[in-house]
Amino acid sequence: MLGFIMKRIFTMVIMILLVSTMIFFLFRTMPGDPTAFIVDPSIPKEARDQLLERYGLNDSLWKQYTIFLKDLVRLDFGNSFFYGRPVTVIIKDLIPATLILMFTAMLFAYIIGILGGAWMAWKRGTKLESFGITISLIFRSAPSFWVGLMMILIFAVRLKWFPGQGMRTSGYTGETFREIFLTLDFLKHLILPSIVAGLYFVATPLLIMRNSMLEVLSEDYIEMAHAKGLKESKILYRHAARNALLPVITAGALFIGSAMGGLVLIEYVFSWPGLGREIQRAVVRHDYPLAQGAFIIIASLVMFMNLVADVLYVILDPRISYK
Amino acid sequence: MIKRVTLSIFLVIVLLITACGGKEVVGPDNDVEMGDLVPSITILSSLPEANMVNYEMAQELVEELQKLGVDIKAEPTDFAVLLDRLYGEEGDYDAYTIGWSGRVERLDPDMFIHSINHSDNADPGGNNTNRYRNSAFDALADAQRQEMDINKRREYVFQAQQILAEDVPNITLYSRANVQVYDKERFDNVVNIPGEGLFNEWTPMWINPLTEDKILRVASNINLDTLNPLAAKSVYEWRNLRLIYDKLVRLSPEIEPIPWAATGWDVVNDTTIDIHLRDDMKFHDGVQVTAEDVKYTYELFIDRKVEYFASFLAPIDSIEITDENTVRFGLKYPYAPFITNTLTQIPILPKHIWENIDDPNEYANEKPIGSGPFIFENFRRGEELVVKTNKEYFEEIKIDGYIFNIFASPEGVLTALELHNIDMVSYDLVPAHIDLIKNNDGGKYNHLEMTEAQDIGFFYIGFNLDREPFNNKDFRIALSYLVDYDLALDVHLNGYGSRGGGGLVINAANEYWYNPAVPIYDTYDPERAKEILEEAGFTWDSNGKLRMPKE
Repeated sequence: MLGFIMKRIFTMVIMILLVSTMIFFLFRTMPGDPTAFIVDPSIPKEARDQLLERYGLNDSLWKQYTIFLKDLVRLDFGNSFFYGRPVTVIIKDLIPATLILMFTAMLFAYIIGILGGAWMAWKRGTKLESFGITISLIFRSAPSFWVGLMMILIFAVRLKWFPGQGMRTSGYTGETFREIFLTLDFLKHLILPSIVAGLYFVATPLLIMRNSMLEVLSEDYIEMAHAKGLKESKILYRHAARNALLPVITAGALFIGSAMGGLVLIEYVFSWPGLGREIQRAVVRHDYPLAQGAFIIIASLVMFMNLVADVLYVILDPRISYK
Repeated sequence: MIKRVTLSIFLVIVLLITACGGKEVVGPDNDVEMGDLVPSITILSSLPEANMVNYEMAQELVEELQKLGVDIKAEPTDFAVLLDRLYGEEGDYDAYTIGWSGRVERLDPDMFIHSINHSDNADPGGNNTNRYRNSAFDALADAQRQEMDINKRREYVFQAQQILAEDVPNITLYSRANVQVYDKERFDNVVNIPGEGLFNEWTPMWINPLTEDKILRVASNINLDTLNPLAAKSVYEWRNLRLIYDKLVRLSPEIEPIPWAATGWDVVNDTTIDIHLRDDMKFHDGVQVTAEDVKYTYELFIDRKVEYFASFLAPIDSIEITDENTVRFGLKYPYAPFITNTLTQIPILPKHIWENIDDPNEYANEKPIGSGPFIFENFRRGEELVVKTNKEYFEEIKIDGYIFNIFASPEGVLTALELHNIDMVSYDLVPAHIDLIKNNDGGKYNHLEMTEAQDIGFFYIGFNLDREPFNNKDFRIALSYLVDYDLALDVHLNGYGSRGGGGLVINAANEYWYNPAVPIYDTYDPERAKEILEEAGFTWDSNGKLRMPKE
């Protein structure tokens, strides 16, 4: 097992290097001058050249690349052109807000998706099942920003139950992680965006769970359980669901990468100060260091979650072992 | 280069053949007598998602010119790519659409007269991207820059506008209006300034709260990057920094420079200016503001090559402290915008803090200490900046502080306005939101007052005057008759803005410097355009193509 993990980490490192190389060259093929977004065009040409010099953009592509790789090994993504601060600091500031929103939404989606998917397989062929599938697909296909706007309109503007914007009430001064994220005010602000994101995510676990459940339910041991006279709920959730979970877990781990992308619009609609919004801006502004850093971190996260999924497999299904 | 060589060889061969009587090479007889074909033109316009109005106006002009037999097309271009083309070494472009934003320092005419039209700046990389060269104009542009007497300077600026209107080096398409709102039930006595809008440097100082809650909540849809004055690169940071830090001179709502952290200034001679500092100012940490701090700050900004202010600091030669409260600036050459642009922009930093910082350009400045009317309290990136009122300040301020709220989208701000969570917007409302607030469905915006100020910035179509046909003045005048200025304003901008015109760089909103007596080419009249071309010797060949006047 340990050997397997070590081997996977080794390939992960190579993959990250490959991905970083691709990202590096991809950004540099974008047309346009990055200084256009950093300084007003009215400043003198000498000052613009000075900027290019300072950011090393006058060096040859190869030299830029070797510097980039050297820094990458030390986990230094450089300074953002636009903010003039280290990329790691900017990402560190933004990533908690995005991760908290993402995991709350995924938790919400997975609890409903797994329980609901199992239940729908059980109720196969009934009206309830088709109703459940339709609803989840509607939320999957509806533009998430539209659902978000509707939620704000109903729950924030009309009913005034929850705040519709930002991460906390303005004027609140908290410094530490605890003061910022572990407050009732923060939870209130978290509810609407995570419900919207959760509804957007729910179709994936729900449908995968339902399909894999249908397969499991036709197995002999389920019939055996019935014959033993076990309670329905016990057969459903103890015997069948546990075995049907495997594909849901892998899909979940892979889902994280796309989930971050899906959050961009939701962060925008709710003025949620997260990473997604900033990535989009960094690309538009040609802020190479920030965009590179963010993409490399997301890519690493996806790879890491893949590894986690593989390890979870062993725990959930004792038949699987890695050599 | 190689292209040009092959082209000229080709031309020589063609000429030789025609000279030898090889008539079949060219078209019908009478075309031979005409001038050259008007070269094909590409307008680098804006992407529709970036600037819909520029995109549409470029398309309109293309259609008009095609009707006149000109081979022309518009090429919507990404903003960064466009700047690359305009400021690049190659200078490879025919025409383009772009705009100058109405930043506060551009209320001073130097930028729009000198920087973008003087022939010194007409080489690649310079701001005169129209490649406009006129020695009579240059003389006036230089004179206004060096004239320290504001009335005489105004006269030069007026004459310069006259020349631009005749020469049409560019065609201004439109200017926008700054439409903004504030909560009239919670505040009154706001100040509205052209190019600045409501959240200018006076409103927070003079605004009057009508309720017990004396905190002003300002909405922004643009993120602030840094609070380090040496690193701040956008007008959005400066709108807040200038309230935390004080400045020697501020521009009044009527755009007149008034001594602020100073009791006054003396223009000793054209290149020597004495500033007399107030003696009752303290930094927020209690330390007295002295002439040392002023000298130190200006030298720091020069030494550290702060790009944002580079052109305003370039004329400074020396800075001396002549007595306890007097700082003497020596200039390399007479520079009239020194008072209106340099002294009104550079903040005063506390020497006792900044002299101990290793790399001031990279310093995070997490807790800015200034001597301005507001004291920094808290800043969370992407969320908000909170400041409280400086009770020790030499001016009385009625609010207790303000919160600068950063939203991701204007839609979010609209909802916050409806919920009474915001007292004022600091950016220009988009037309759709202006209409929503005006319709006031169900009375939900009853508490809002809408304000309008004309922008001093402008959007324009620029030409490469080094190239045919734009080197021909009559062609440019004819073009100014092909632009439908009313279409831009009434249809594309819903009426929120002002009309453009040929060579119009200083508009009526900039009351002091605008010359109303200058006749401007600003009518849409394609027939007149055709007449002008005919009078200037342009002809149409048998294919209906427009040809340059015969030399």
